[in-house]
Amino acid sequence: MHLDPFELHRPASVGEAVELTRKFGPACDLLAGGTDLLPNYKMHLNVKRHLVALGDVAELRTHSLERIGAMTRLGELERDTAFRATYPGLAEAIGEVATPLVRASATVGGNLLVETRCFFFNQSYFWRDSLGYCLKADGDRCHVVPQKERCYATFSGDLAPALGVLNASIEIAGPTGLRTVNVLDLYDAAGDGIRRHHLAEGEIVTAILLPDSARRVRSTYRKLRIRPTFDFPELGIAASLDLDGSRVRALAIAAGGLETYPKRFDEFTAPLVGAPLTAEAITAIADQIMRSVRPVYNTFLAPDYRKRMVAVYVRRALEHLSGVRAEAAG
Amino acid sequence: MERGPAGSIRVNGQSYDRPFPPERILLDLLREDFNLTGTKRGCDLGTCGCCTVWIDGVPTLSCLTLAALAEGHTITTVEGLSSPSELHAVQRAFVERGATQCGFCTPGFIMTAAALLRDQPHPSREEITKAISGNLCRCTGYSKIIEAIEVAAAGTG
Amino acid sequence: MATTSPPGFRLLGGRIPYIEGPLKVSGRAEYTDDIKRPGMLFGGLLRSPWAHARLRSIDVRAARAMPGVFAVLTGERYPTPFGVLPMTHDETAIAVGKARYVGDILAAVAASDEVTAEQALRAIRVDAEILPEYADPKVGVLPVKEPIHARGLAGTNIQKEVVQHFGDVDAALRLAAHTVRVRGIFPGVTHAFTEPLVTIAEATPDGRLTVWSATQVPHYLHRSLSEVLGIPMHRIRVIKPEVGGGFGGKSDPLPHEIVCAALAIETGRPVKLRVDREDVFLTNHGRHPTQNDVTIATDPDGHILAYDIDALIEGGAWSSFGTVTTYYNGVLSMGPYKVPNFRYRGRRVYTNKPPSGAMRAHGGTNIRYSVEVALDELAEKIGIDPFELRRRNALPPGSTTINEFRITSTSFLRCLEAAREKSGWEGKFRKQPFGRGVGLGCGFYISGSNSPIHFTPKMPQSTVHLKVDMDGGIAVHSMQADIGQGSNTLLAAIVAEVLGVDLERVHVVRVDSDVSPIDLGSYSSRVTFMMGNAARLAAEDLRNKLLEAASHLVGHPVEQLVVGHERIEVRHRPEIGTSFLEALHAAMEHTGALTATGAYSSPPMGGTFKGARAGTAPAYSFAAYVAEVEVDAETGEFHVETVWAAFDCGRPLNRLAVEGQIEGSIHMGLGQLMGETMSYRGTRLMNPSLLEYKIPAPQQMPRVECLLVGEDDPEGPFGAKEAGEGPLVATLPAVANALYDAVGVRFATLPITPDRVVKGIEERRRSGRAWKGA
Repeated sequence: MHLDPFELHRPASVGEAVELTRKFGPACDLLAGGTDLLPNYKMHLNVKRHLVALGDVAELRTHSLERIGAMTRLGELERDTAFRATYPGLAEAIGEVATPLVRASATVGGNLLVETRCFFFNQSYFWRDSLGYCLKADGDRCHVVPQKERCYATFSGDLAPALGVLNASIEIAGPTGLRTVNVLDLYDAAGDGIRRHHLAEGEIVTAILLPDSARRVRSTYRKLRIRPTFDFPELGIAASLDLDGSRVRALAIAAGGLETYPKRFDEFTAPLVGAPLTAEAITAIADQIMRSVRPVYNTFLAPDYRKRMVAVYVRRALEHLSGVRAEAAG
Repeated sequence: MERGPAGSIRVNGQSYDRPFPPERILLDLLREDFNLTGTKRGCDLGTCGCCTVWIDGVPTLSCLTLAALAEGHTITTVEGLSSPSELHAVQRAFVERGATQCGFCTPGFIMTAAALLRDQPHPSREEITKAISGNLCRCTGYSKIIEAIEVAAAGTG
Repeated sequence: MATTSPPGFRLLGGRIPYIEGPLKVSGRAEYTDDIKRPGMLFGGLLRSPWAHARLRSIDVRAARAMPGVFAVLTGERYPTPFGVLPMTHDETAIAVGKARYVGDILAAVAASDEVTAEQALRAIRVDAEILPEYADPKVGVLPVKEPIHARGLAGTNIQKEVVQHFGDVDAALRLAAHTVRVRGIFPGVTHAFTEPLVTIAEATPDGRLTVWSATQVPHYLHRSLSEVLGIPMHRIRVIKPEVGGGFGGKSDPLPHEIVCAALAIETGRPVKLRVDREDVFLTNHGRHPTQNDVTIATDPDGHILAYDIDALIEGGAWSSFGTVTTYYNGVLSMGPYKVPNFRYRGRRVYTNKPPSGAMRAHGGTNIRYSVEVALDELAEKIGIDPFELRRRNALPPGSTTINEFRITSTSFLRCLEAAREKSGWEGKFRKQPFGRGVGLGCGFYISGSNSPIHFTPKMPQSTVHLKVDMDGGIAVHSMQADIGQGSNTLLAAIVAEVLGVDLERVHVVRVDSDVSPIDLGSYSSRVTFMMGNAARLAAEDLRNKLLEAASHLVGHPVEQLVVGHERIEVRHRPEIGTSFLEALHAAMEHTGALTATGAYSSPPMGGTFKGARAGTAPAYSFAAYVAEVEVDAETGEFHVETVWAAFDCGRPLNRLAVEGQIEGSIHMGLGQLMGETMSYRGTRLMNPSLLEYKIPAPQQMPRVECLLVGEDDPEGPFGAKEAGEGPLVATLPAVANALYDAVGVRFATLPITPDRVVKGIEERRRSGRAWKGA
């Protein structure tokens, strides 16, 4: 499979990268690890004339416990024992991305901005041409939920929920300078599978910033899929918990693999702050979160099952973090 | 901001100076231009791991690597892992333990396994299983591959 | 390097590393796509975007005019139909008149490179009338508006109907004390070999055509090329380089192979045609999607009285091996058991989907799944142990089945004993907590089809030639196809064993129709049995020549001589003798290089009724597997922890290879059970990629304990039978029955994905049936 010709740009600094990205606007894509972009390019999905490769920007490639450069490879973080010990939930999420070979190239920034996925989108040019294209590439209708307005492609990154529950923020460089947003605020909850984040033209994610609190809380990530490797998430649940004795000091739960953007469920967890995390509370939250999500049938497993597993995965994550047993009645 | 490099790439200790366009994929460059056909094309989309090579010693999917971005890095393919007269310990163990059947995935597994044992001379069975979980084998059921890596680890220990 | 051969053997019976292993681990083994020819062009295929369409016209003018395009072909240039079975030639190299599935080949180009070829394909304009498309075989059994093929039965899409009745099933059902019905539903699965399909062809001015192809049956390719291209076979040379797996998917002559050769002829240039991974999925020829209804009746003690089976088999666009499949779904249901009354109706129906064909344990996997699940249910109903039920019904050695299969050797009872004992069945079955279970599944499979696809039944199925010259190297020629299973190694080992020489003296020459005598290739688990016998005879022929010469050298009559290690010596007096090379050189005086031939034909067998030959084989393998599973009842995820695989392949000749086949078969069987599926919406394949086609990961692989308990087969080479396909069959029902033991749910539909496990457990609970207290 070959790539259509493009111009490859190799900026050496963030400034240059921003300038190129601004200059080419919608005619360019950023190339990080390439493990998501290049398969899509091979399938001629939304191919651009210009590729801005970020691999030469040294400042994007360093990481510490507080700051992870966007071009840090997942494999590097996996090998960093201090990092793994400090952020167990994030380390689980990283270790469950695709395969070790993909993780050798894939980057943190790339995973945050991984293209949304759908059975009707992630197909070859021939396949899509033969069916009739979809909203997300070359066409004007959705084959999952037949209509012409909204794309239902699923957010399939593992890192965003795991970073979201750690209250991580991301640093964004743009034509007007740097800005910082909460990691989950990167994503457009009012958008869809196409309009999926709030990056303006010329903006580049440069780093992930982890606050002090991220090093205090306990955290975990659980991923549902057919195989324990290769597969994108059918569901990914991240949770973090900070307990003061038996009382909740902080609790966060986030999910990916369900809708068009990764979601955090503060409306259900907030009432628990200051209260003890009981078996009943765990069961109730798990149930509330399950009821609030709306997966569609565009991944391998049926949406009703994925939805039901939300409750199980949330409950198990909280059991794991709290030591409280809330097992559903057999 | 130039359109692609002139094309100078180091593979198995040899420099190749040959122009190639920016859209050239490393796997294609190795197989089609350099005749290094030990690296295999299985799925061309980064799933199967048949195309695994080392870039600076790290097992990497050559089918998802732009050749241009491999410039200035050290590439090792299965042809560069050992000499014709002496196979690498992992290669010997794969032969001895029947870890190859059709052999098409084998070069990829060899590159993955050799890097694992270099970085971690005594991996547990679980660590081996995880390390090879980006390489797909349709023949062996992985049993003899895992066994061969264990044997190689014991031998190099 | 071989070790621990049984007494009387130096190599066979031990663990013999594959002779091509060093080439494969070093990346030096040569596969078709590794080959380049001077001046080589690249082919490309235009595939149908329609599932069913009448082709009005195809305009290739723009494509032909493009720079770098050397040839553009459409269907009418080579319209001769072909197909693997002589009776069902319904394919053409390129579609003629109609397109029958999304992926059908409409046109082909040869160009300077693949990018140019792709651009040329996009310039081809096809005018087509869209026809009603048929995705469901249940629709196709009735008359349809637009039959997919004119040869469909009476205006339907039925390609083949088989009806067989032995004994009196209705009477047996009336007498039965226990009856169980199972409806098994099996989506298609595909081979997913790691090496994609690829062919190179070159037509030369001497009037010859050379074809290199990733094929597991070079001979059928050879014949089809000749038939379709109209070139006599002796002017075509087929070469099989290393093949990266087949599992049946490279056994049909495939259209792209013929198209590639046609492009080479048109252009006068070598042409390489690579089929990318998506198109490999669309080429398919995988296991048939099937629905089977199985009724098994027994007497009060569990003796089987009757099988009553109806199978609806989905063929996709073409016939392929389908007629055989339609028979196999019936006749391969019975062994390893005595079935006194048997009724079967099988219907294979065309649909507008990628063609189904032969895949590892062809025709046996799905039906044996339903039968073994039904037997598990029967054992429970009767109140006897599943092992006991099988034991009571086991076919004895030297028996004949009701459909006149000849059962020479069977060590099925030994398989049962070994699996039961090693698995600790007694302490586990129905005794472990909810969520944990063990299950038994059994199987049998043909060891080489007795009914070869061949010119005449009198031709041998396998022939092996040996040539040895003064250098002492023994060249072995045979058209058997090593596709990774280790047949080259076995061929060399048999020759070395008989001649007493070191393995490194023996060179298996790459399959090349110019020099390799015809062998029917790698399918129907025929190679060890048939090639093995031919190789043994060839080596014995050569040995006799050496013994003759040695007799003159050492002054002892031939009858007193035996083969030692690299020498020939007097029996019980090994100090008197001569070396292999001395004997060889003496034998070569006046004649030059020695040659020898061995050939194998299976003996006459089978009944005389219509279809009697289907499923007859010179021997059968037998299996009894126990699987142990752990189920997460809440998520439905499960892990198969161990499989105790008791297998009767007669005498295992290369334990390394036999274990490799068993382990690989279990992995492939688990794939079909746990998640592999050709997933369609209508006629459209949704998952043509290795990412979305869920081959199990290494973490999902159970521990496998291979229990090779077979006794020598009287006709197999050194007592051996097949081990390439039979090992798959028992895997699936063993796991399904273990799931039942674990959570009390029967699964008759595959794959058993976690959502279905959860649903099953819930339905059981809702119906008020507790299982192990849960």
